Amino acid sequence: MQKTLLDVKDLTIKFRTDDGVVEAVNKVSLSVQEGETLGIVGETGAGKTTTALGIMGLVDSPPGKIEGGSILLDDTDLLKLGEEAVRKLRGKEISMIFQDPMTSLNPVFTVVEQIAEVIVNHQQLGEKEAEQKAIEMLELVRIPAERAYEYPHQFSGGMKQRVVIAIALACNPRLLIADEPTTALDVTIQAQVLELMKDLKTKSKTSMIMITHDLGVVSEICDKVAIMYAGEIVESGSLEDIFENPLHPYTNGLFGSIPDIDKEVEFLSPIEGLVPDPSDLPSGCKFHPRCKYAQHLCRVEDPSFREYSPGHFTKCFVHEGKLSVKEVKKYE
Amino acid sequence: MSRYILKRLLQMIPIVIGVSVIVFLLLSLSPGDPAKMILGLNAKEEELALMREQLGLNDPIPLQYFHYMKNVLIGDFGTSYSTKQSVIEMIAVRLPPTLILSFGSLLTILIVAIPLGIALAVKQNSPFDNIMRVVSLFFAAMPGFWIGILMIILFSVKLGWLPANGFDKPSAMIMPIICSSIAGWAVNSRITRASMLDVIRQDYIRTARAKGLKESVVIRKHALKNALLPTITSVGMAVGGCFGGSVIMEMLFGINGMGKMMIDALRQKDIPTIMAGVIITAVIIAVANLLTDLAYSYVDPRIRSMYARRRTIRKEVAGNGSN
Amino acid sequence: MAQINTTLPTAKQRQKHLKKRSLWADAWLRLRKNKSAVVGMIMLATILLVVYTSPLYLDYDNDVVKPNLSQTLKFPAEGKLLGADELGRDVLARILWGGRISITIGIMAMLLSSIIGCTLGALSGYYGGKTDGIIMRSLDVFMAIPSLLLMITLVSVMKPTLTNLIIALAVGSVPSVSRMVRAQVLYIKGQEFIEAIRAQGASDFRIIVMHILPNAISPLISQFVMEIAGLILAISGLSFIGLGVQPPDPEWGAMLSSGREHIRDVWHVTAFPGLALVLTVVSLTLVGDGLRDALDPRMKR
Repeated sequence: MQKTLLDVKDLTIKFRTDDGVVEAVNKVSLSVQEGETLGIVGETGAGKTTTALGIMGLVDSPPGKIEGGSILLDDTDLLKLGEEAVRKLRGKEISMIFQDPMTSLNPVFTVVEQIAEVIVNHQQLGEKEAEQKAIEMLELVRIPAERAYEYPHQFSGGMKQRVVIAIALACNPRLLIADEPTTALDVTIQAQVLELMKDLKTKSKTSMIMITHDLGVVSEICDKVAIMYAGEIVESGSLEDIFENPLHPYTNGLFGSIPDIDKEVEFLSPIEGLVPDPSDLPSGCKFHPRCKYAQHLCRVEDPSFREYSPGHFTKCFVHEGKLSVKEVKKYE
Repeated sequence: MSRYILKRLLQMIPIVIGVSVIVFLLLSLSPGDPAKMILGLNAKEEELALMREQLGLNDPIPLQYFHYMKNVLIGDFGTSYSTKQSVIEMIAVRLPPTLILSFGSLLTILIVAIPLGIALAVKQNSPFDNIMRVVSLFFAAMPGFWIGILMIILFSVKLGWLPANGFDKPSAMIMPIICSSIAGWAVNSRITRASMLDVIRQDYIRTARAKGLKESVVIRKHALKNALLPTITSVGMAVGGCFGGSVIMEMLFGINGMGKMMIDALRQKDIPTIMAGVIITAVIIAVANLLTDLAYSYVDPRIRSMYARRRTIRKEVAGNGSN
Repeated sequence: MAQINTTLPTAKQRQKHLKKRSLWADAWLRLRKNKSAVVGMIMLATILLVVYTSPLYLDYDNDVVKPNLSQTLKFPAEGKLLGADELGRDVLARILWGGRISITIGIMAMLLSSIIGCTLGALSGYYGGKTDGIIMRSLDVFMAIPSLLLMITLVSVMKPTLTNLIIALAVGSVPSVSRMVRAQVLYIKGQEFIEAIRAQGASDFRIIVMHILPNAISPLISQFVMEIAGLILAISGLSFIGLGVQPPDPEWGAMLSSGREHIRDVWHVTAFPGLALVLTVVSLTLVGDGLRDALDPRMKR
């Protein structure tokens, strides 16, 4: 049995805005073992990035506030640590790769400066050695050393993202959070960057949380998957659990809306409706307005998150046997 | 880079010539007889005619201009009509106070506005921020000479702390410099605050925080350097304002600077002094603008490589042309 | 056929009217929601009302310029709310009358410089190339000397009449106005709807006047309002050094200049004209800020 590295329980994050309180993340629980990769999948606005920022201790406050729950790294609760102690973990124990490489690098510093900075910050190294190590990191992400002293604007999007990866990995973190690292890139570059990340992950045995809305990426890189909808995790389990035996109607809807070359279907079946407005979430099960199986109960009560087979959780009345429908049709 | 500086210096030449042509034309075409200014109202007609001949005032205006500029090129700005002194010697005395006043004001603007702007951005929407919003609204609206009068009433008349006149000792410099920079403090602290808030929201600031840097490092190193860019532009533009504004400050505080010299010369139609004043002012402003642009490119590598790229493009074009 | 010809333009007009009104109504709505802009508008409206109706209740000869030596430098009291100046004239009456002069010069100079500036900026931005080069390089010459020094030079070679003051101030602000207009015109020229209109065969003049300028100006209106504030400050500066409005006519800067001789004895002759100046500039700034947020949603944070 592997050791649990990160254990998030009932994490709740709210934002206070002019339009009222927004529940961005609602009682999210997830765990990552050492060397494991967890995929968090969901539509834009489901609260994936906010969850990640919550783990990093980077939720903008105000307006955001972590209202409850715990985030255990090993056995320390990050939410109980002081700001200063969490800061010292950032970039060293936990690192993050952001979505848009175009804006993630500071335009006024050279790339080598930006990598060396995190090394100097966390390791007892002088400027010179840190710079040397930074250049090694650049080579690791397959950027030639002679480009080290250039500025971000001289790099392409794919190269910038590699620099961001180099920054994130520079201090050999135990947990890497990648927030849609390939979304902003061209398709051909996406494959390269993904390949690189897979490669680095196997080499360094870093645990990873991969945030994405691309199930293809998940199938390639993840061991475990959590499906998020409207600030909640609606289903989680191993890659096989989720891909072979999806339980929640939303998960099935996600699979139904991607084209599959093996199967001959006339139409894709996208999920009807839109992601709910986070400041005005529906009552009961948050998915009920878009759910084909929804009945009266779903409108008034919120199903609980239960384990249906070892490690495979979901949150749906169909599986609790409380509805007249007893089964969710696969991939539809 | 040095080529860029050289190019900019060369570009100054037509502008200075343009300025001198316009001012020379204005002065030559406007009513008033310099000969009468020199010899006084009681001078005889023959003396006046002789003086006009000596000054070359009977020549056509283009020729007069040509003669004047020929002398300027060899460093001879002529002799003042009213004081009979060499203009260059007058300027040697008058320029330092004006430079100290103008650049002293710019310096205090930088020293006050940038830290204040950062503090306001960090403490956004705090009571301090809200009070300063109103204060700076009023400071930016107050004419320097009114602040000057109020300060003289308080610090010279009532308290007797600071001299109300002159510019000969540091205590005399305090009020003029504050008065001519107070609006600049207000305006530029707002600009720094706004750009700081803009920068703090950028993704690269989140990256810096994700590195586990101290918040003070994130602000001082990552945010400030980017946030300074609009402030540099604005302070650069304030150079002209400080120079122009120093005319009024010199009149108010009785400072014998370029501004006061210009006003006296304009009143007496002292063409050589006016021309020299205008030309030197134009050169100083142009150099200050160049320094602003260099400061900008020092901070922002994107601008730096733009200069380099422009040069290579031009080289390529030139190369193609010669083929 | 005739029927179609008469109905078509009206339908078009109506559509245009509707579109225009919604834009301005929208801006007005946003302006009204902006608290500081509302404060600014109330201040400005009050100032304009009081200042421009002053001829109705003040007599120029008796109330504004006639010396009354028995009242010299009298402190504010009943009857003379803001006191009397060095010639015993009512400071309040002179502030009100002087405000009319300052604000009128400021607005007229702004109108003049925006007419010239829009023409130059539009030509420069629209045609580009040589036209742009010639116009911009000429403006560079005017920008090479500080605008206040330029204004001082112009006023002192001309006679300081109101018209000449307006001209000098306008010339001083033309370069910056032209640059702003040019930048806007360049931006709008690059948009696709201009390309579409050009493809329909519209003349350059029509494109500039009917399509580019109306779009270019709305974000500039706030700049123009703030420029009026700057010009009012400039007039008072000129008057302060004796090159602006000439005595016995009152003007805020001129009042400060003559009051300055008496700062050892009294403060009210310098405090109140300056305060009037500051309140006017503050109200214009608030309105300008509000207009910027209301008219240019792109700038909004």
